[in-house]
Amino acid sequence: MAKTGMERLQELKSDIFRCIHCKACRFAYSGEPDREGIGEYTGKQGTVLYEGMVDACPAGIEYGWEAFWNAGKIWIARSILNGDLEFTEEVRDVIMPCITCGQCSAQCENKVPTVDIIESLRAALVESGVPMIEKHQLVNRLVKELNNPYGGNKDERMKWARDAGLEKYINNKDAKIAYYVGCTASYRQVEVAIATAKLFDQLGMNFTLLDDEVCCGSPFFRIGAVDTAQELMNTNLENFKKFDKVYFSCAGCYRTFTIDYPKWMAEGEKLPFKTQHAFELISDLISIPKKKKELPGKIEELKKKLKAKPDRRIEAELKSLEAEYNRIKDIKGEIKFKPNKELKGKVVTYHDPCHTGRHFAIDMEQEMIKKSENLMFDSRKIDKMIDDWFEIPRVILRKLEEFVEMYRIKLNSMCCGAGGGVRAGYPEFSLRTASLRCDEANAVGADFLTTECPFCWRNLYDANEMYDHGLKVMGVLEMISTYNLLDIIEKPEF
Amino acid sequence: MSYKLPDEKDLEAMIGIVGKNYATNNKAITASYLAKSVMGLESQIPDIVVRPKYPEEIRKILIYCTAEKIAVSPISAGLSGGFACPTIRPGGVLLDLSRMDRIIEIDEENRYAIIEPGVTNGALWSYMHKYNPDWAPPIADGAPPAATVMGDAIDRGFTLYTSSVGPQGDNFMCAEIVFPNGDVVRTGSWALPFAKPFYKYGIGPDMWSFLMGSQGTLGVVTKAAVKIYPHPKHKTIVAWGMSNPHDMQNLTLEVAKQEFGISHHTVMVQGGNYPLVMAKWPKDKIPHDYEFFKQIGVPKWWMNWECWAQTQEELDYTVKRINSMAEDYKKNRAKDPEEMKPWELHPKQIASRMKKPNKIAIPYSFWEAGFLFITWYTPWNECAHFSDMYCAAMEKYGFPPVMWIASIERCRQAICMPIVCFDSTKQEDLEKVQQLNMETTEYGLKQGWLNYRPDPYIHIQAYYQAGMYWKYLRAFKKLVDPNMIMHPGRLALP
Repeated sequence: MAKTGMERLQELKSDIFRCIHCKACRFAYSGEPDREGIGEYTGKQGTVLYEGMVDACPAGIEYGWEAFWNAGKIWIARSILNGDLEFTEEVRDVIMPCITCGQCSAQCENKVPTVDIIESLRAALVESGVPMIEKHQLVNRLVKELNNPYGGNKDERMKWARDAGLEKYINNKDAKIAYYVGCTASYRQVEVAIATAKLFDQLGMNFTLLDDEVCCGSPFFRIGAVDTAQELMNTNLENFKKFDKVYFSCAGCYRTFTIDYPKWMAEGEKLPFKTQHAFELISDLISIPKKKKELPGKIEELKKKLKAKPDRRIEAELKSLEAEYNRIKDIKGEIKFKPNKELKGKVVTYHDPCHTGRHFAIDMEQEMIKKSENLMFDSRKIDKMIDDWFEIPRVILRKLEEFVEMYRIKLNSMCCGAGGGVRAGYPEFSLRTASLRCDEANAVGADFLTTECPFCWRNLYDANEMYDHGLKVMGVLEMISTYNLLDIIEKPEF
Repeated sequence: MSYKLPDEKDLEAMIGIVGKNYATNNKAITASYLAKSVMGLESQIPDIVVRPKYPEEIRKILIYCTAEKIAVSPISAGLSGGFACPTIRPGGVLLDLSRMDRIIEIDEENRYAIIEPGVTNGALWSYMHKYNPDWAPPIADGAPPAATVMGDAIDRGFTLYTSSVGPQGDNFMCAEIVFPNGDVVRTGSWALPFAKPFYKYGIGPDMWSFLMGSQGTLGVVTKAAVKIYPHPKHKTIVAWGMSNPHDMQNLTLEVAKQEFGISHHTVMVQGGNYPLVMAKWPKDKIPHDYEFFKQIGVPKWWMNWECWAQTQEELDYTVKRINSMAEDYKKNRAKDPEEMKPWELHPKQIASRMKKPNKIAIPYSFWEAGFLFITWYTPWNECAHFSDMYCAAMEKYGFPPVMWIASIERCRQAICMPIVCFDSTKQEDLEKVQQLNMETTEYGLKQGWLNYRPDPYIHIQAYYQAGMYWKYLRAFKKLVDPNMIMHPGRLALP
């Protein structure tokens, strides 16, 4: 039996009661007061001092009231559980304009899983009979009728593939690998879908696109329409269960399949396939050959050190390197990037999508905490694992000519404003948040603002146009494809 | 004393003063201001929340609420780990001063900053780090970044310079206060229209000190001038470990007496016991026995001296003198000389301890799901007695004996902070904390020790023994707050 929102909220009670209302969660870099920044920058959304800790909760910045910052919402959840507050439209209108970016969770020293809590709170609210806001009702109706929240024709979901000459991959019967495209890349940012599929094609991957793909359910898990989300989840699980691996180009879909599905599936059930984002594949093809060359030398060096003097830390490092080498030594495939004159002298920056960045990092952390027997010892491993995770897209980005980081990055990255049902429900707030992010890209002199999520892409693109930031917004894979950067040294085996 | 429950008409009046975007009785918003942790377990949902921006708005609100006899509780932004002084019964209007967040002036020659009440530690620190890097504000060491500088003063707290220069109240030079009777009073030299905030006692006698510890019961501070201090580059931590609080207390006092010498270089002098390290991790994911902590180099008790100096030579001299005094104490006067050792800290540990503002006080909720600082002021040479008593009491009630101690003004006082880690989801745990608090308060007051910002039901025990003081406190309150509307219940007033 799948869980209800209220059951999830009850499960999270101890986590909710761990919030002490310290409000460190309002800042990016809440633990780095002396972080060197880029100074003050006045952009389209006002002036921000990019030094030390910076306010980073989009809803808090927009609305100001305590209830809109994360800690306020956690105390609303506590009031609901304690019976001090009932679900009403007032509660809805406070908990819905949250992008669920997870910045708050990343800052929390008590490891409160804020995104889980807010999503469960929303699910419990909808279950209680409080009507969803009109715009959420609309997308909920659209997805039920058309399998996507954009109102796109069911039959046109794979139109982009046909138009791009990739129809051979639609319902490709031999494939053991599927590419789940998602609604945004199918109906809106088709550039992302085309670029991803073409890269797979160039790499020799035998994959399939499914004509009867339906929405992953991400927006509906976020806005509390869990019944809808679970129906979509079940359809997708059924459609994709025969594949060994499913690839994604959308951060939201990837997160939903990988993190949400297991949480909302019945207890004991597991995903029947492996999941990976396309950028992980590209990153691996750059980094693994390098690691294969470097690791044996490093392993030998550590062995020598250990022989000279036993040391627990060196021993642990050696084990970890050996395990990594054993994992990669037989993996084939190598790519490089070719230069492109059009990119000469252009500054590229990168926006970490919350769904592939922070949400995965926090999920990894929560899983490690559950498994750990001595968290003090394991906390370093967790930090390293999170660092490594955020490095994956950067392996690609550093191959580009001039890559410059924005001030708030990785775990402290500022959200684009699109998620959590906010783009649909509160478009003006959503675009102001995206514009704040574009300001940050302007502050480092970027020409290109790249990302790896079509939903972030859309919002950043729209804000860029609306507020005239003068940026070129692109997906990383789209950039590789558009500027023909890929140089395949050795084709991978899939 | 009875108060009017604010109704729609009162909300309209508030909206008339601050505008419709800044006053509300929305139940979700009002519930979000709850805080039952860290500094107190008493918290009540306010009926109306108002977010004024200007002193004149506050004046009008207070005049209105005085006339209508509506209770008013001001909060600076603002919290020192949990809202410092949330609304308690009978509810009423909560003034959220977070919009009053201007850093008005930094004067490096006269060495003060003029700030509004909503200026957070994080904001002021980041600002000065960028624009006044040779100077630093006296923010509370250990209070999270969203705590406010002003809130720390009103709570008569401590700062990162406290061991060298005294409590936070001593750092505040002048203030602008709006009283509920509608008067706006400027204290210190600010009493004269054109004076700089250079002299706390002004034209005398000093009225500002009356607000130290007032916790919003007398008026609303709308602006204040706080001393700033040098932020030299030469800094380090000296730490010594020992087996008991008595050796910690006695050695620290010997060093502190080196006034006009090394003790003026020790800005923050703080110590504690090994459960202070242990209780930052989940109860079931960390060993509880001391042997584990011994193996990783954590002493049973320890003291840190954070030393700041203008030159490396001065810093080296300070470190050398502390170490030689410790060696001498160990050799000649220590209770347990065998266990007295210098604690060699890793550079990362030193950097972490010197980071300001920091989040070190936050993760005690990770142990279970809640914690309470039950803080006391004692004469320094009684802090070991306090620790023995309190650790035993915490263990008797089944809580880990977590103790933190810091010096104020070169050990003229000790701030003793037992951290009671408990499961706030369980009513029986809450009751046990209250019993522990009452029992130890009874004992502490008999020793002549002082509670620091206790819950009202505890504070009444202290005022019961100080009847004459309370009589004059009440008389002063009556003068400025004729209908006793300001934060009723706090300080056992009215």
